[in-house]
Amino acid sequence: MAILLLSFGAGFWCVSGCDRGGPRVVVYTSVDQVFSEPIFRAFEKRSGIAVKAVFDTEEAKSTGVLNRLIAEGGNPQADVFWSGDPVRPLLLIQRGLVEAYAAPNARNIPAAFKSADGSWTGLAARARVLLANTRLVPADQMPRSIRDLADPRWRGQAAMARPLFGTTTMHVAALFSVWGEEKARAFLNDLKANQIRLAGSNGEVKRLVAAGEAAFGLTDTDDANEALREGAPVRVIYPDQEGLGALIVPTAAVLLKNGPNLENGKKLIDFLLSKEVEKALAESAAHMPLQPGVAVPPGVSAIDTLKAMPVDYARLAEQMERIQPWLREWAGL
Amino acid sequence: MMSFWRRREESLVVGAAGLALFLAAFLPLAWTFIEAAAADPPALRRGLAALKAARPWILLGRSLTLAAAATALALLLGVPLGLLLGKTEVWGRRLALALQALPMSLPPFLLGLGWFYLFGAQGFVGSEASRRILFSELGAVLVLGLAFAPVASSLTALGLWGVDAALEEAARVVAGPVRVAVRILLPAAWPAVALAALIVFTLAFSELGVPMFLRVEVYPAAVFARLGGMDFAIAEAGFLTIPLWLVAIVLLGIERSLFRRRSFAVAGLRGRSAAPLPLGRLRFPAAACCWLATLLLLAPILSLAARAGRGGGFSAANQWLWPSLANSLILGCAAASLLAVVGAVLGHAAARRRPGEKILDGLAALAFLAPAALLGVGLTAIWNRPPTRFIYGGPAILVLGFLARYSIVAIRSFAAVLAQFSRDLEDTAAAFGAGYLRRFLGIVLPANFRGLAAAWILAFVFCWRDLETAVLFYPAGWEPLTVKIFTLEANAPEAVVAALSVAQAAATALVLALGFLVWRRKAPW
Repeated sequence: MAILLLSFGAGFWCVSGCDRGGPRVVVYTSVDQVFSEPIFRAFEKRSGIAVKAVFDTEEAKSTGVLNRLIAEGGNPQADVFWSGDPVRPLLLIQRGLVEAYAAPNARNIPAAFKSADGSWTGLAARARVLLANTRLVPADQMPRSIRDLADPRWRGQAAMARPLFGTTTMHVAALFSVWGEEKARAFLNDLKANQIRLAGSNGEVKRLVAAGEAAFGLTDTDDANEALREGAPVRVIYPDQEGLGALIVPTAAVLLKNGPNLENGKKLIDFLLSKEVEKALAESAAHMPLQPGVAVPPGVSAIDTLKAMPVDYARLAEQMERIQPWLREWAGL
Repeated sequence: MMSFWRRREESLVVGAAGLALFLAAFLPLAWTFIEAAAADPPALRRGLAALKAARPWILLGRSLTLAAAATALALLLGVPLGLLLGKTEVWGRRLALALQALPMSLPPFLLGLGWFYLFGAQGFVGSEASRRILFSELGAVLVLGLAFAPVASSLTALGLWGVDAALEEAARVVAGPVRVAVRILLPAAWPAVALAALIVFTLAFSELGVPMFLRVEVYPAAVFARLGGMDFAIAEAGFLTIPLWLVAIVLLGIERSLFRRRSFAVAGLRGRSAAPLPLGRLRFPAAACCWLATLLLLAPILSLAARAGRGGGFSAANQWLWPSLANSLILGCAAASLLAVVGAVLGHAAARRRPGEKILDGLAALAFLAPAALLGVGLTAIWNRPPTRFIYGGPAILVLGFLARYSIVAIRSFAAVLAQFSRDLEDTAAAFGAGYLRRFLGIVLPANFRGLAAAWILAFVFCWRDLETAVLFYPAGWEPLTVKIFTLEANAPEAVVAALSVAQAAATALVLALGFLVWRRKAPW
């Protein structure tokens, strides 16, 4: 009986809003929790504003919180969306759910990585890379292009995440955008014919390659960096440096319209766009700083040393929505 | 006036519990149907096309086969284990039973990760052959069957503890232990075994994490791909759930017909227990089998512990653990208490076959079987409004979600206990003028206190291990530990993820130990 009463007490505490009081900001993020949570803690310490966060799941990466933000649009719960890529925020902008905010710290971010009106601002970027297991792939046969995923030599030995979620959808949309519909579909069908192993997430691609379950795979720089840190026998390859270029994926900060703590949201965005945060993310997650003058640690490429795939992020957003039914069919779902 | 209310006490109380279930489960699920039906014509066409295509039906067939095979494995292993550990003189049977509960505390995906560290190509005892088996449909059946076998063993043991000692002892005079087990004990435990089958089949059928990890395409993934994809194709997802409702109705029909076959009333979980069945020469082999099976069920957790220890995960996990652990505890306690109350009221109504009980029971079963993603979308749509912000903006929304999803567990477990409780006492009290509330609080609950505690513990375990419901709509700052492990799994060191998983299992052991102490007590009324 005592336990029941105690539990009811806990329940009542929950319903009556046990964490009310004090300044706070609500942020939804699809940046990996292991990297984003320490940033939020640093902001709390600096500003005295409590950060209440919702983190996205690996398998629904970016679309989980995105769909939630859309569903909550009529009665917003969040102040800031810190997206793992710049494309999802554009879907919110199209639906009128974003408040433009020209943050002072955004001045020095290159124009390609922010919107002119301050609707979204890029920071700390990842790149899409190939991660190869050095025990399974000889040094002279290392893949150099994403086309190698479809090379019959690697039949059944290459891996990528299902292109329905996360940065892999964005990558596929970029291929549709750069190559055109026909060529991109043919490439994906070649991948299927080559028995590519479809993982649930980029993190799982890393795990498969690191554990020798796959010879190489397509993933993000932060996942690849984690494999290196764990001492796995892997090598990171920036693909298509003599051709198409690697896809660059900046994270993006967005202020949401009618959020419950708008001013605190602005303060959090100012913090996210600081050099201090870019440096911290370069060190913890191998993210490439977009602010000039931020030193990169060994093993992390500076953004201006890479050949980047020429993409217009706004067009990618439309492309991604359009190709989703075909991708589901392609994935057998 | 008083007699007017007294006559309607039962209707009012059952109605209030039913209303809670209606608000938590029916409204959100109905909303997704309405949304699907009200979609614009192109979306409707796509929804119909999705249903007409062959692929979803192939996936449905695969999911049904997978769930049936996993259920068969869980019952084949779990029911004999429950019988041996619950009723015989196997050494350390209570400890073995308690240890078996630990895998139930982890989302199956993390157990799959444990098996991967063991049998992956470069796992502790892995090889190319073990990898091939693990990453196949057979691997998915094995991982899910072993993950859910403790549900079957625990419920079977629980059911057997309720068998009337006098009946069992009388049978022992004329029959050997095997015959007593087959002819008396197992038929008496039938409702609990049927409940275990329903729960295991539903959990295996709706499981998404393990099949995705082992690269087995299943039906829930097709629904999730439409709700989690960029185009948020809710109409298509709504259409694709229609076969799920059919599956749920068939399942309920089968389970109810099996439930009715219960052969005789027994004393329930409050009476004297019979002495353990003597096994004679079989005692040693039976104990060896039980402990080997326990070790097999614990293997993925041991593998996670070894992975955590190898990479210094336990010390690094400290910084991620505590707030989420506290969230899980608060949410689990609050939800389990609400579930125990609703489960006791509706379980009593079900056991006494009150009008409307089948509808409420069916609704609870549907909410359990429905894809969690669909329930999450519906809950957001229904409850995220300015007047109900105090619910949606705080942890109460998770408590509501758990109520929707796991009420069937509490209702059925309490109903199974009450099915073994004679209604003579209640009828006598009623004849002397005692109203429903007096009979319920003064007779039913005290006499079945252990059953109520068991329902609370079961509900707590389900809420505690929940991932798929909470992950979609947990309020900012209220992340449960399972969700934290899942989101950290993306890029945190493997050793940290493994250590957090072990911490989740260890915390469960503590909670279960406390629960067991309460369970052993006599009714406090």
